[in-house]
Amino acid sequence: MEVALLLGVLLALASIIVALLTVTLRDLVYSSSLLAVLGSLVAAFLALLGYYIVAAFIVIVYVGAAVMFIVLTVSMLGGGGAEVRNNLRGALVASVTLVVLAVALLVLGIPSHVFPVNVDVRVVSDSLLSDYALVLAVLLVALAATVIEGIAVARRG
Amino acid sequence: MSLQYVVLAASIALAAIGVYGLTSSSNLVRQLLSIEVLFNGVILLLAAIASANPEMLTLLLAILVSVVSGEVIVVMALVISMYRVSRKLSSDILEEEGV
Repeated sequence: MEVALLLGVLLALASIIVALLTVTLRDLVYSSSLLAVLGSLVAAFLALLGYYIVAAFIVIVYVGAAVMFIVLTVSMLGGGGAEVRNNLRGALVASVTLVVLAVALLVLGIPSHVFPVNVDVRVVSDSLLSDYALVLAVLLVALAATVIEGIAVARRG
Repeated sequence: MSLQYVVLAASIALAAIGVYGLTSSSNLVRQLLSIEVLFNGVILLLAAIASANPEMLTLLLAILVSVVSGEVIVVMALVISMYRVSRKLSSDILEEEGV
């Protein structure tokens, strides 16, 4: 078995275990901390596939800012009362989702790609600053508005 | 077995685990965490099946991550706001309030 495939299998197993712990652990602080681990594992997966920029972006923006924000907020709020769980309903819906996704992929067909892909950073940056400049501007304004909105909502409560 | 199929299997499993957490718990923070697990599965799924144009996929994923980071901020702000009012983090309160 080649090294990339072996790493992929290990990352897949680790991701699944961490995801299961994230949704089942009673302590929300541990759960949200594990979400940071899951984000890092997904970033490692993407780096293995050749998407180095996205992997770095996920670690810096998603794990470094968004998930850390969740961890800090949950640490301050505490548990928030007893958690009512309906594991049977969850397992049923998850099974249906699993089957539907697997069948959809089998029916629609999976396009074959060679990994790791070769991403040309120059093409990405040129596209972002020329063809998608408006998208970038809208995204920046939307994110700034989101942060202001978030602060306003939290203060108003 | 190839790396692509391993990634596909992991992404489908993550999506299913996210849906499990979302539907089995009434805690709002747990539901947000489950949505994030689902999001991680979707990112992996996109990377595995839509790599025909890696540059465009890189852009798409970067924008997706930015938008989801903003969504996390807004949802957590709403959770804080709700917690201040009711001292609970259960989604049942939303049903009681008719939201």
